[in-house]
Amino acid sequence: MFYKHVCKLVLPPVLMFVSMLLMSGAPARAELAAPPGVTPPVGTYAGADVAQPIEFPHDIHVNVNKINCMYCHTYARRSKVAGIPPTSKCMGCHKMIATDKPRIQKLTEYFEKRESPKWKKVHDVPDFVHFSHERHVKKFVFDADLPVENVEQVCGLCHGEIKAMTVAKKNKPLTMGFCQRCHEANGGPGDCWKCHK
Amino acid sequence: MSGFKVNRRDFLRVLGWGGAGTALAGCDMPSTVTLEEGKEDVVAYFMPEEYVIPGVGVWYASTCTQCAAGCGVHGRVREGRALKLEGNPESAVNRGKTCMMGQAGVQAHYNPDRLTQPLLRDGNALKPVSWEVALKKIAEKTADIKSDRVAWLSGTVSGHQAVLINDYLNAYGSKQHFTHETINANVWQAVARDMLGDAQPVLRIDKAQSILSFGADFLGTWQSPVHFAAQYAKFRSGKRGILIQAESKMSLTGGSADAWVAVRPGSEGILALGIAQTLIKRGWAKGDVPAKVKDMLAKYDVGMVSNATGVAGDRIQRIAAVLSQRAPSLVLAGAPVEGAENAYDSVAAVMLLNVLLGNIGHTIEPSVQFAETRMQARTGGTRGVVEFAKLAEAKKLDVAFISHANPVYSAPGFVKMKEALGKVGFKVVMTQFPDETAMQADVVLPLYSALEDWGTHVAAYNAGSASISFQQPLMEPLYKETRGFGDAVLALLKQRKPKEYAAFNDYYAYLKASVTNMPAAVSKDIKNKDQIWNALLQKGVLETKGNVGKFKINAAVEAVAEVQGDAQFPYRLLPSARLGLWDGRHANSPWLQEAPDQISKIVWASWVEMHPITAAKVGVKGGDYVRVTSAQGSVEAQVYVFSGIHPEAIAVPLGQGHEEYGRYAKGLGVNPNKILSPVFDKKTGEVASYATRVSVTKLDKSARLTHLGASDTQQGRKLVSTIPAAIYRRTEGEA
Repeated sequence: MFYKHVCKLVLPPVLMFVSMLLMSGAPARAELAAPPGVTPPVGTYAGADVAQPIEFPHDIHVNVNKINCMYCHTYARRSKVAGIPPTSKCMGCHKMIATDKPRIQKLTEYFEKRESPKWKKVHDVPDFVHFSHERHVKKFVFDADLPVENVEQVCGLCHGEIKAMTVAKKNKPLTMGFCQRCHEANGGPGDCWKCHK
Repeated sequence: MSGFKVNRRDFLRVLGWGGAGTALAGCDMPSTVTLEEGKEDVVAYFMPEEYVIPGVGVWYASTCTQCAAGCGVHGRVREGRALKLEGNPESAVNRGKTCMMGQAGVQAHYNPDRLTQPLLRDGNALKPVSWEVALKKIAEKTADIKSDRVAWLSGTVSGHQAVLINDYLNAYGSKQHFTHETINANVWQAVARDMLGDAQPVLRIDKAQSILSFGADFLGTWQSPVHFAAQYAKFRSGKRGILIQAESKMSLTGGSADAWVAVRPGSEGILALGIAQTLIKRGWAKGDVPAKVKDMLAKYDVGMVSNATGVAGDRIQRIAAVLSQRAPSLVLAGAPVEGAENAYDSVAAVMLLNVLLGNIGHTIEPSVQFAETRMQARTGGTRGVVEFAKLAEAKKLDVAFISHANPVYSAPGFVKMKEALGKVGFKVVMTQFPDETAMQADVVLPLYSALEDWGTHVAAYNAGSASISFQQPLMEPLYKETRGFGDAVLALLKQRKPKEYAAFNDYYAYLKASVTNMPAAVSKDIKNKDQIWNALLQKGVLETKGNVGKFKINAAVEAVAEVQGDAQFPYRLLPSARLGLWDGRHANSPWLQEAPDQISKIVWASWVEMHPITAAKVGVKGGDYVRVTSAQGSVEAQVYVFSGIHPEAIAVPLGQGHEEYGRYAKGLGVNPNKILSPVFDKKTGEVASYATRVSVTKLDKSARLTHLGASDTQQGRKLVSTIPAAIYRRTEGEA
């Protein structure tokens, strides 16, 4: 009897642990190469489709027009947040480009009302986690002398292959285990207070 | 049970593995509380300022308005939200530091109980209306009012806000501006004005070698605590200064003192005269006093003073010796002395010690004269609120404006403020919160928080620097239907004098025009007014050039009357104040409710502090409920037994006992102001708030006291080493 109870208590976590070990053997998406010398974090996540006020096509911007991630997400190298580009920045191009497209017409409506679209947050960590884009971009891009045109490889470590999507979808778990294993593999800090402050 | 055996070691081994599994798996569990894809909005800037980076804070200079000290602050703003306040190093008052109340400034701003719309009385209820309707109502009621039938009651105001109030009353030809602060230094100021010719002399705690403080809680609640705390740090470093605190209930400053002397409440002035007599008799006096004063002092020999104050004779002599040997010294008097029925004479006796010890001009310096007299701080005490209530009670007021104060809560109970206000024809209350006074108003005008408003402030205690501190908004107002105090008064002024104020669209325009035209603001290098203005806002402080005044010493001090006992009410009530809840204005801040009282460590409650001897007499222990009764009424709270209080005194702290004031303050604890007796200091007219006599009766109820720390002693563990005073004296030869 007693042993049975112990099994009930212990088995589920043990099974999860084993399944995690198995999962870690699975290869990351092959399409996007990791930056040289970096062991990519392991894990995938099937994120939900998030309806955005405008169905923003990352694929057209990145895949077709070859725009660098940091051209729009300009705060990534300067701040803890990567930032959504200001509406005025979108209009910098779209005053002229693709003005006949319904999505751009919708954007123009916002701009004329002097409002920003209320985007829905896709990638998030809990409030007790202090994640800094600036620190990661510094380590993997600037300190590593990675050519800036390849920055998508660094972004992709946590965000996956955004250039294959229209609106972004979460496809990495962004859990503590995910962060922790990458920190161990790539020499990131292990102190609790580095992230929890 | 089955026959299957698991021994303890196996069990722990299995548990260990299970624990490890759970821990590791936990790292991969997404938090279901905060991780919701697509639930939170993330809104980009429409067109950001160049220097704005989301996630990176920008610091703006402003001024703290949590108490009247006028500390300069820097506020951190990120994504348009004010997040943190720190001290402004440019401010002579606080030099980059803040106290806990300053830190809690953001909570006053984000408090969920803020008023969001003007309210207009409709029978018994206050109904939300627009600003236009509220202002129109005020215009109607003030249309043809006589000059002596309008009054303004406020807390401490200074800068351009004080100028506007003054101008508004002038528009009626009225001079009736009353000021009210429960925690004040009015008697100290009156004595300093009469004896030194300077109401706000600059105190140099940092220059003193020894300090004798009669209940002046300069680290907690007296005048400018952040400023004094920085001076105190200097006083204690280098050659360590000696602090002696003489009071009947231990304050935060008393807790930090080298020697804490328990004085019979109300006899502090007699102790001061006793020390003065010792100084003269021993030939230790450095300053001269009139022969008349020497004659008066003759009767204050050690025996008589020891009898009257309960302080041992040798101790009185030792205090006198320390003060004269460790020169320069400094002698201060705080709330318990300023709140006694012999307040003026007692504080004068304290000032006499400074004269005798030769401190005038050394640790007490003349203040810097502030050229813009109209902007000077108008501080208050308790006299103002009593006078206001008398006018109201006599139906001599048709219209009253109340701002920066909550007199229905903070006025002594005998004033009957609620009833007095009922006899005023029309009451306009300007406030951020639905407080007790707002509930009695006919019109309530909801104000911006300190982090949303414009203003200029001049500290009442100016710390040797005649400067103006600027208050600028750190963020957009949270509520559309609130307005700045300056904006509200300007709107009222425009009703009276539309032509004179037509040039100013809002308070910002008024302030900018007024400040950039001040001689002190104009510099040789900058000619452009916008540049002057921006430079001032960036720095947060404008230092004006003022002449240093001169002292005119008048040491004609009179004898201090002994306070009388009362068989029916054997104890004196001390309505003690603390840094944190202050006079009750911060009872609606959870951070400050949660920050324990510095001495008793009690949180979120009122209590009755008494000496173990008193507790034994009443027959109670800590946690028991008692009723404290004065001739004016009674309050009930739990007992906290503590040796740092005189056996003839009972302390009930200020701050709690709100009947309104939002979800965090309402219904917590009791308000000792409500049972104060109508005793006054005759010379200043201030309420003698420490002179109420009470009795204590045990109630048949007890509960655990909510306070930090289970024990008041070290339980013999020697966590902090101590030696008895007698041994220290023998080896070190000091107090």
